[in-house]
Amino acid sequence: MKKVIILTLMILLITGLIFSTTITFWTTEVESNRLERIKALAILFESVYDIEVEVVPVEENDLLQRIPIAKAAGTLPDVVEGGIEPMLLMGSEDLLHEELATEIISEFGDIYTGASRLLSSGENTYYAVPFHAWVQGIWYRKDWFNEKGLEDPIEWEEILDAAKELHDPDNGVYGLILPKQADAYCEQAFTEIALANGARPIDLEGNITFDTPEMIEAFRFYKELGKYSKPGYTTVIDALNGYLSEEAAMIFYSTYIMDDIAVEEVQKSRIDDYNPELVKNTGFANYMENTDRSSYGQVVALAILESTKEEEAAKKFVKFLMTGNNYIYWLHMAPGGMNPTRSSIAENPDFLDNYVLERYGTEKIMEIISALENIVRFDFYKGHVLEEMSKISGAFTIGKAINSMFANDWTPEETAKWAQKEAEKLFE
Amino acid sequence: MQAKAGPLEKKEASLGWKLILPTVIIIGGLIIYPVIYNIYLSFFEVSISPGKPNIFVGAENYVSVITDPGFWRSFGITILFTFLTVAGGIILGLGVALMMNRKFIGRTIVRALILLPYITPVIAIVFAWKYAFLPIDGPLVRSLSSIGLMDPGVDLINDPNNAFWVVTFFNIWRNFPFVYLMILSRLQSISKTYYEAAEIDGAGDWAKFRFITLPELYFVIGSVALLRGIWNFYKFDEVYLMSKFAGTLPIYIYEKAFIGVPQQGVAASIATLLFVVMMILIGYYVKKVLKW
Repeated sequence: MKKVIILTLMILLITGLIFSTTITFWTTEVESNRLERIKALAILFESVYDIEVEVVPVEENDLLQRIPIAKAAGTLPDVVEGGIEPMLLMGSEDLLHEELATEIISEFGDIYTGASRLLSSGENTYYAVPFHAWVQGIWYRKDWFNEKGLEDPIEWEEILDAAKELHDPDNGVYGLILPKQADAYCEQAFTEIALANGARPIDLEGNITFDTPEMIEAFRFYKELGKYSKPGYTTVIDALNGYLSEEAAMIFYSTYIMDDIAVEEVQKSRIDDYNPELVKNTGFANYMENTDRSSYGQVVALAILESTKEEEAAKKFVKFLMTGNNYIYWLHMAPGGMNPTRSSIAENPDFLDNYVLERYGTEKIMEIISALENIVRFDFYKGHVLEEMSKISGAFTIGKAINSMFANDWTPEETAKWAQKEAEKLFE
Repeated sequence: MQAKAGPLEKKEASLGWKLILPTVIIIGGLIIYPVIYNIYLSFFEVSISPGKPNIFVGAENYVSVITDPGFWRSFGITILFTFLTVAGGIILGLGVALMMNRKFIGRTIVRALILLPYITPVIAIVFAWKYAFLPIDGPLVRSLSSIGLMDPGVDLINDPNNAFWVVTFFNIWRNFPFVYLMILSRLQSISKTYYEAAEIDGAGDWAKFRFITLPELYFVIGSVALLRGIWNFYKFDEVYLMSKFAGTLPIYIYEKAFIGVPQQGVAASIATLLFVVMMILIGYYVKKVLKW
């Protein structure tokens, strides 16, 4: 009798292994608390559809290097989550299933076009499905601005005036904390400034255009701002800590700052004293203006690989992650930082039912999400995606140029010339 | 005239082969195969998409690397970096080892503390350094500026002009404990009778160091220099984490081959070139310095 039971169980197990469907999902959310949530969603998905999901965390910077290895080993994933840059690169190498991504976008019907256009692969076709997004802008001390009667920091002149007016280094307060190191943060802040002046490092034909008058002007403005910044080659962590500890009137930051400003435990993990008034006293300028209007942001997308053997299962999984409470559960991993790309979810009261989002209020959150429509980027121009930009970003050409401009007191012209030469070298 | 192998010798030979077979397979699979595959890849433009095949390009990858002035510039920087860090590490390690070889109170604790830079994870140390040197708020900068030794607004670590010296200094500081450990263990095994005999002959401290200690340490220092040389020549993590401007070869490879769409063929050709260069250098060094 025992033997029969064991045999039946064995047969069930083996047939189960043979007939059950498994898909592999690479996610760039590598932090352990986020992975827990993703794994919970995977288990839920399995219980509903009987499709097993293997969740594999991959550092975003390693994504492209892991692809050839996985290809050689025959372990390519079915679904990948990642930022715009790796998606565009994978898409340009024909790795992504454009038909499925396009199908999902049209079936949902409510994905912000501002987000999906950044992943377009041609006329109404897409490399990947925009999943969640953040917006960058200037976070500033509204109370200090009001005291001095300053305008919101939106136009170049207003930003510079405010920086000058509020800069008081003798008392440990600086106009702003500007990125000055050779890193991605520096490039992100500079992108918003350059695009507000219509300056781009690369044009539609792939020519490098750092030496244009618009770009030189952008470097000039950046250098001018640098005078009213905290000393040193400051970077993202200096900006965040400086703002929270009331050292800076303005900083460039993404919406990921929202819980740092609003939640006591998060803030206390950065600095010693919690400031409960900071939420109320903080303003957010989600766009910038000089000759043009610019708003910088990043979209994180879900892509299905061309090589997948489980097209239906992969599609189901993507739609599962972007539907109802599953989607909201994912977005609440980083309230403020992860914003929905579907309008029906952005308006869903369950999405706004969160201790961080509540503190900002519905109106503010909707304003932030609406900025998605105006996102401009160096790698997207006149409806065309410029994959070459990822090479310039990867080599930190812009950050290096700015770092050197401050270190060597280069003129804006010298800086632009250096960046032009460095970028050209990358494409030799 | 060679004796014909009898059945017993034949059996022994075949047993011998059977016994080393696992080793041959492991070395073959883990070392020889990757090396050969790497050389093979270096002649191709490697495609990362499953649908596209690799394209044979002959020596094109090699030509593009050798004719790139950036490659030779990085090569020069790397040689200088390797030379300075190995020499600096050995001088510092030797000095500290000599001091730690003397008896004093608390020696055991100090000996252990000296190992800290080497055994702490590199990412933690990099952040600690960056924090200590932070302008205005960094503890080291604060204390130095409070006694008037430096301007608190100066950012030594992140100034691109200091990049080479920062990574060199950091590497020496991080790796000298390894040298120190090797030298100290050799120092402790030098027989005291040599020194006693030398003292009877009237030798001073310098003479004892020059004619006893140094010759006894010769092979340890030689081997350590070789190891550190190989490691530092290929050093990526510490260098890249400290500065994007250091410009050594591993960073050149990274920027050339892995930024944007990975160019595995180019990366493979650089790896092959470095492999050949290193083999020649190591061969020469082992013969002349280590006298094998």
